[in-house]
Amino acid sequence: MQKIGVIGTGSIADVHLEGWRRMPGVEIVGYYDLVPEAAARAAQRYGGSVFASLEALLAAVDVVDICTPASTHKELVLAAADAGKAIICEKPLARHFADAREMVEVCERAGVMLFPAQVVRFFPMYRRVKERIDAGAIGKPAVYRSARCGAFPRPGAKFSAGHYADFAQSGGVALDVGVHDIDFARWCCGEIERVFARGLTFAGRPYQDHAQITLRFASGAIGFIEVSWAHPRGVFRTRVEVAGDQGLIEWDSLDRPPLLAEFYDEERGLQRLAGSPVAAEDEPYYAELAHFIDVIAGRAQPVVTARDGLEAVRAALAAIESMRSGRPVALKEFGG
Amino acid sequence: MSERKVRIGFLGVAHMHSVSYASNLRKMAGVEVVGMWDRSPTLAAEWSKRLGVRRYERAEQLLDVEPDAVIVCSENALHRPMVELAVDRVHAILCEKPIAATLADAQAMIDRCAAAGARLQIAFPVRFAPSIQELKRRLDADELGQVFAVNCTNHGSMPGGWFIDPELAGGGAVIDHTVHVIDLLRWFWNAEVTEVYAEVGDSLLHPGLGIDDAGLLSFTLSNGVYGSLDTSWSRPPSYPVWGDVKIEVVGERGVIYLDALHQYVTVASNATGKTQWVSYGSDIDRGLMVDFVDMVRSERTPSITGEDGLAALAVALAAYESARRGEPVTPENVLPTLYR
Repeated sequence: MQKIGVIGTGSIADVHLEGWRRMPGVEIVGYYDLVPEAAARAAQRYGGSVFASLEALLAAVDVVDICTPASTHKELVLAAADAGKAIICEKPLARHFADAREMVEVCERAGVMLFPAQVVRFFPMYRRVKERIDAGAIGKPAVYRSARCGAFPRPGAKFSAGHYADFAQSGGVALDVGVHDIDFARWCCGEIERVFARGLTFAGRPYQDHAQITLRFASGAIGFIEVSWAHPRGVFRTRVEVAGDQGLIEWDSLDRPPLLAEFYDEERGLQRLAGSPVAAEDEPYYAELAHFIDVIAGRAQPVVTARDGLEAVRAALAAIESMRSGRPVALKEFGG
Repeated sequence: MSERKVRIGFLGVAHMHSVSYASNLRKMAGVEVVGMWDRSPTLAAEWSKRLGVRRYERAEQLLDVEPDAVIVCSENALHRPMVELAVDRVHAILCEKPIAATLADAQAMIDRCAAAGARLQIAFPVRFAPSIQELKRRLDADELGQVFAVNCTNHGSMPGGWFIDPELAGGGAVIDHTVHVIDLLRWFWNAEVTEVYAEVGDSLLHPGLGIDDAGLLSFTLSNGVYGSLDTSWSRPPSYPVWGDVKIEVVGERGVIYLDALHQYVTVASNATGKTQWVSYGSDIDRGLMVDFVDMVRSERTPSITGEDGLAALAVALAAYESARRGEPVTPENVLPTLYR
């Protein structure tokens, strides 16, 4: 039985806890949050105790699940590593590259596992894209494209919109969302050599952000990523396309879903509800957390490593630097 | 009132669009396709037979029958000599895109036509796609409020033939597929490209091809909009359609996704061994031909000018220059001698 402690009980913790709650072989031991009421609400909903301090939680668990904002990750990861716990850390691994690197190095030295929650690798359609590339279906990847576009985040907790709007805390859409697609692009096409980006991050629009990131991979392949917090509320559009020298794979969330319901009432007019349900064990956050437990238990090799999380942060921050400078940024020389 | 008959000839048919242009013209009332010439006797013979258009052995013979206008669909690098050959003998010329393979040629064509009083139009048929015109209408109506960004693709299949000959084409996927979308953006917003950064891939999708077959452009426009364009020949032979023209516009009040040519029936055929998307969309080349014939007949100015063609070509050439330098470039700065 793996004893799980959750640090930070905001909206992403709820998603994790829905998974932990139904996963065999794990026990939700409890929570630590700077806002005790938030931890108490989680305890009420998912069971387990509220811990008054980080140290108390670390003393009681095997696995730490860090669901706090990126700017707080380093302090928490270093404490958990010092306590010798396996660590799951939400993406992005850190707000700053030096912090992420220190986290990775400390965990490596301490011999503790650090899993960056790069959940896109666990979305079934993305897994299938990667699997088909590995099977040789498209030959050598040459042109990568993907997009992750939604509205500005305003999850449950009151401070969140303010947090995301504070570039110093969140890094904006290029870091917070960009690491998803950057990590997937690296998984498909290998190391990134340089990035060039344009966007709204420095346009002085605190509740709208958007970035277009152009990539060159060490293999010679090229890539393009669009990430947005400027799309209309209610929209979440994702897509991925990888063209190789022997074929092409693509998927678009605008494609027809397996389930579409249409209703009419006089007040609201036509309502359309689309659904693409998957089996409980294939739900991506569940699959991700279950995989980490499998690795901790020695049943699997990791699909994603702390170094992957670190490289995603590096490329995302390089994209931000490119937006700032108007110049391409070579990753080899970029450390912050 | 019967309209004056418009007589049109074809000078060079190496670009496959010539087939569609000619078949549309042949269906139009008051239009006569008086003849054709191409430097390749084989292509000329086949083309003239297929379309039922009289073939001339020499280009001068075609001009001797005094067409009102000629359509130049030769290889890119041969646009200029074709235009120069015809310019004193016709009232109007429609030249396939890109206007030329070099800016020097493009400028010479524009200047020569102006001096001779022949009106030069560039063939950008995508302007005539009904979905594109609907997008322009929505942009003109300011439905999105302030526009932030535009994300475009003009993917295609690798065309082969002279398209992959640097001497005749002037470049590969980037010159072939930059100009359509850049022309549309210039037209939508009456704006110019002010900066281009490009990642260009040589023989990336087709090992051994010997020319660029993949390109990603990142640019800014003079109206403050930034954008991207994928020009890659990334549709493999097994893909259900040749390519696409997609434009996604992000603005302060919303987003518009346009997949301009996506009006398809899906055809699964054992005869072809694959599933194909077969268009039922309106023929954009028909719109271009109607517009051109109207221009010839009415003696108005062209709706798409030589300068439009030159500006779009300049962006493609700036993209190559950016890729060579590994940094963003401004068209004026990298091509100074050609921008007087």
